[in-house]
Amino acid sequence: MSVSQRLKNRFRRFLERPGTTVDLEPFSKLLPEIEARGEELSTLDDAELTAAASEASELVEICAVGREAAWRALGERPYDVQLLGILALLHNTVAEMATGEGKTLAACIAAFGHVRRGNGPVHVLTVNDYLAKRDAEWMEPVYTMLGLSVGYVTGASTPDERRAAYSKDITYASVSEAGFDFLRDQLITDVAQRIQPELRTAIVDEVDSILIDEATVPMVLAGMIPNEQDPVHLAAGLVKNLRPRVHYEVAEDGRSVALTDRGVKSLEAKLGVDLYDAEQVGQLSTLHVALHAHALLDRDVDYIVRNGKVELVDEMRGRVAQRRRWPDGLHAAVEAKEGLDASAEGEVLGTITVQGFIALYNAIAGMTATAVHVGDELREYFKLEVAVIPPNTPCVRVDEPDRIYATRAERDEALIEEIKKFHETGRPILIGTLDISESQNLAEGLRAAGVECAVLNAKNDAEEAAIIAEAGKFGAVTVSTQMAGRGVDIRLGGSDQSDRERVAELGGLYVIGSGRHNSRRVDDQLRGRAGRQGDPGGSIFYVSIEDELIKHHAADSIPPWPRMKFGGLVDDERVTAAVEHAQKVAEGVHYELHRNTWRYSVVIEQQRQALAERRERLLTTDVAAKMLLARVPDKAKAFVEGRLDEWAEAKRAAELDALEGKAELEDSAELDESAEPGEKAELDGQESPAEIEQSEIDEAEIEEAELDESAEVSEVDEQAAREKREARLVEIGRSIALWHLDRLWAEHLAELSEVREGIHLRALGRVDPLDEFHRAAVPAFNKLIPEIEERTVATFEELDLEEEFTPERAELVRPSATWTYLVTDNPFGSELDRLVSVFKRTKR
Amino acid sequence: MLSAFISAFKTPDLRKKIFFTLFIIAIYRLGASLPSPGVAYGNVQECMKLLEAGTQNGVFTLLNLFSGGALMSLSVFALGIMPYITASIILQLLTVVIPRLEQLRKEGQSGQAKITQYTRYLTLGLAVLQSSAFVALARSGQLFQNQCDQFPIVPPTSLPNWLTLTMLVLTMTAGTGVVMWLGELITDRGVGNGMSVLIFTSIAARLPAEGWQILETQQFWGFVGVIALVLIIITAVVYIEQAQRRIPVQYAKRMIGRRMYGGTSTYIPMKVNQAGVIPVIFASSLMYLPRLGLDFARSDNPGEVYLFIERYLAQPSSWSYIALYGVLIIFFTYFYVSITFNPVEIGENMRKYGGFVPGIRPGKPTSDYLSFIQNRITLPGSLYLAIIAVLPNLFFIALDSEAYQNFPFGGTAVLIMVGVGLETVKQIESQLMQRSYEGFLR
Repeated sequence: MSVSQRLKNRFRRFLERPGTTVDLEPFSKLLPEIEARGEELSTLDDAELTAAASEASELVEICAVGREAAWRALGERPYDVQLLGILALLHNTVAEMATGEGKTLAACIAAFGHVRRGNGPVHVLTVNDYLAKRDAEWMEPVYTMLGLSVGYVTGASTPDERRAAYSKDITYASVSEAGFDFLRDQLITDVAQRIQPELRTAIVDEVDSILIDEATVPMVLAGMIPNEQDPVHLAAGLVKNLRPRVHYEVAEDGRSVALTDRGVKSLEAKLGVDLYDAEQVGQLSTLHVALHAHALLDRDVDYIVRNGKVELVDEMRGRVAQRRRWPDGLHAAVEAKEGLDASAEGEVLGTITVQGFIALYNAIAGMTATAVHVGDELREYFKLEVAVIPPNTPCVRVDEPDRIYATRAERDEALIEEIKKFHETGRPILIGTLDISESQNLAEGLRAAGVECAVLNAKNDAEEAAIIAEAGKFGAVTVSTQMAGRGVDIRLGGSDQSDRERVAELGGLYVIGSGRHNSRRVDDQLRGRAGRQGDPGGSIFYVSIEDELIKHHAADSIPPWPRMKFGGLVDDERVTAAVEHAQKVAEGVHYELHRNTWRYSVVIEQQRQALAERRERLLTTDVAAKMLLARVPDKAKAFVEGRLDEWAEAKRAAELDALEGKAELEDSAELDESAEPGEKAELDGQESPAEIEQSEIDEAEIEEAELDESAEVSEVDEQAAREKREARLVEIGRSIALWHLDRLWAEHLAELSEVREGIHLRALGRVDPLDEFHRAAVPAFNKLIPEIEERTVATFEELDLEEEFTPERAELVRPSATWTYLVTDNPFGSELDRLVSVFKRTKR
Repeated sequence: MLSAFISAFKTPDLRKKIFFTLFIIAIYRLGASLPSPGVAYGNVQECMKLLEAGTQNGVFTLLNLFSGGALMSLSVFALGIMPYITASIILQLLTVVIPRLEQLRKEGQSGQAKITQYTRYLTLGLAVLQSSAFVALARSGQLFQNQCDQFPIVPPTSLPNWLTLTMLVLTMTAGTGVVMWLGELITDRGVGNGMSVLIFTSIAARLPAEGWQILETQQFWGFVGVIALVLIIITAVVYIEQAQRRIPVQYAKRMIGRRMYGGTSTYIPMKVNQAGVIPVIFASSLMYLPRLGLDFARSDNPGEVYLFIERYLAQPSSWSYIALYGVLIIFFTYFYVSITFNPVEIGENMRKYGGFVPGIRPGKPTSDYLSFIQNRITLPGSLYLAIIAVLPNLFFIALDSEAYQNFPFGGTAVLIMVGVGLETVKQIESQLMQRSYEGFLR
């Protein structure tokens, strides 16, 4: 590279902010060495290579050995650019590698490198179970050649299988499985139940999707709580009859809905109560939730109904979000809306955000095809830098400018026309739609126009692999949701690539998007399906002004009379700008959501960690038993010394005495005999347990001394029995303390979510809502630890120690992930904003 | 509060932040007392003395207060943080007129970053304008009301005049840029809001000098008396600034199996002083107008109107002036609160997210209830502001000395200092709470 070229690169990197990237130069310098070492390695036999792999720790050696192993095991020799990706992953950065450039293989060799450099075990976190299993099985020969063991975890794995998988050098798991295993480990009552070892290194696949898009989705472990009544069906029935804009109003951004005065009146008339009485909060909440389900959530857009269950559709990926539920009764309300049995609402036992979970790893690295756009966020929240890896062969895909139509109908018509036109030439077409119902409607339209097409959406995700395999075939038309937007590899000419040449001549795969998504990255991912590894391809987006994205975010930026061409095609740069603007607003909203979720979860995550540390101590040591011996010495000691009966009798006697004393006291008081009370009162004040204890201990000591003298054999027996009882005390103390700790934590979480709900109102008093949140959360947590101790002592005192202690643990019904409401913590804006808004109002 | 500070210093992370803030403040003060090249510092000192002895009440005193005395001495940081504040206000207002700005604002983080960038450019533009204006004023002697023309602030040198002046403007503009950066550094890496902390610093920087002046004029016991009074005022201000009425709010947006935590943590805080310091600044700016008019009229043969204004409206020691000032503050307090605390909007927001005041229906009943309480609570609030603001004038009469005109413990200064102080302490406290887990579990 010449000096001027290098300077130019430097300057470009300087200008590239935001999204400053890692300098690849130092990595490129290693490439010749790796090449040279690779030639030496090719002379070794397999066993010798494995031996070499077990000693590799230098970067050059790792890459060279990995490359050779990949070649022998899979017949794929990583390109130089893949090596750059591997080096970036070994330096704990995010490697941006285009579609089809072999991210999976790069991750495999990088994982090997991390293990050899002493950072193992390595978890490769994928977006779903299918990919975890596929990648693990696909890469297994390479790992075997490298002398490493590999395992994978899916939703169907049993605890034993999971434990086995996590004990391997490399474990593939979807991020939610790994996260839930972590959460479940936070609730074990016996060390032997632990599944996940210490978290060391994670390589995150599709890193922008997992770390940014999913960051607003906290993972939640819920316990079953009994559902007392079933008000949701009633509410769903009532809400069904309400009319939009008359009885309720949906906010501009489509995120909230509220009853109007008329709506309230009509509901109150039917129910016969004043809904805004403090007593009726429950009733009102149910109605609000039912209204939310009715007005804001649409079937086949936000969720699908399959096998009598409501399944959420992930907005960013278009797939069914496994195990995800809406929080706070909304899920049950949707079930009621669809006439299904409402499933029980869970109580949150433990929660962690994806971000909090990822932060538990010592080191993280990641890869994706679209990282630069979120470079700032990756740096801010995860301290990850982005390395842009150049493609092996330059991308020749043609990205055409958007076509914008005035109405949806015109857009759909033009879209079908266009598809027909290209279909006649036989060029394979992939159409990315925004949601399931749109994909179905478009498919119907195409069939009516005589174009046969395959449909891929969350409803038929089982056929995914088969549909994708043939999507690049000559004459194929595939209508999909965002499902085909990420991670799928469409090969030209179908699965056997027989027609490759013919299809390539026609221009390769043509990707058509029926509307812009909420994020540029999702658009780019969709485009990225075409033009894989230097293949020809093309992409275009068909947008209409009536799209949700534009209606919600840029309604006022659209000029009233845009310049138009024939057929409703808009030719007006103001509209083009508005579309860009709408997408940026949507991205801004998501960013804000992420930021707020993060800011408000920081304190909870700290508290969780503090409590987890304490829990770990309770779990692994005898602190609980020690605490009991100190706090409830008489009962605990009596138990350890096997004199529980005596103790109980003494206690009963004391109680009896006290009771008699009291009774007599009362009698005497009634009889107005004031002679004796003084004496009785002393009795009432118990025959001082300390004294009893003292005398008993003395006796015990004497006994022990006697035993000591008399028979050594029985002493040994006695000793063994005592140890057994001590162990039992440790066990009892532990399980009582853990039970209370878990209960109190669940209560604490519920309290915090209650506080957070209304915290934005504090901004009106000119204080920072976040500071106020801390002010509420921290003292509440500080009370937690003493409270655990108090409750443990209380339970121990009441407990009949002869019986087994089996606390009623809430059954872990299911792990689930929820979804958060908090968009902004200050909806009113600063005082200046408010001032400005007054001007705005007068201007209008 | 003191214990909070002690434990703040025990937390390494927070200690670093506090020291960083103090370091930036030190740099800021250094620049504020560093004269720009070409300015005769000795002459500035002489002029200050003359001005303090004189009877005139300068137009620029409020600005001077915000810059901590740096303005009058034409130091490197003479313009202080004001151009930045002005620029952010202008850009906010421009969003009403320029749709492009409004769009950017809606785009969230990335758009906001661009607006911040524009604000910085505008700040520099304003700094060029303002520094040129002040340099021109200083050269013509108007900065000190032509009272010290015998001490030229920018004396002629061997260099050509335009070069000196350009140098001055450039220095002060660059200084403004640096102040802006210092403020942002405090916000990002220190404690408190950078702009507020710098204003606080400027005002506080004058305290020792003012205290010294009191000591000189009033002897020891008078000084002790004033200090005692000041402490009482500050305590009262702290007390009232914290006072609020909490209106309970209940959210009915989530269905929870067993509701056990009701309402105590969710409320609308309505402060007694909901308006903050803004009404005082509005009113005092307005009260400068008569003075300004007189300066322009500068009549050798004053007519009746001139005399009337001079007598009743321009003399801070006259009762009519004090009364008018007080009434203006009360008016602006009501005005400002009605703008920033909009019961209808708050009611709508609550309705949107499923909240309500228990026992009160959403919509009109709620906003009526809120404005009822707001009106009731604003009366004591506005009286409080008026009293604090006119205190220096009362001192002026009581002690019969001009020296208290810019009394730093009264009026605007004390309100700003207490406000910023409370805000910063609250932030420290919140950060401290977050970090205190490490200690308490062992």
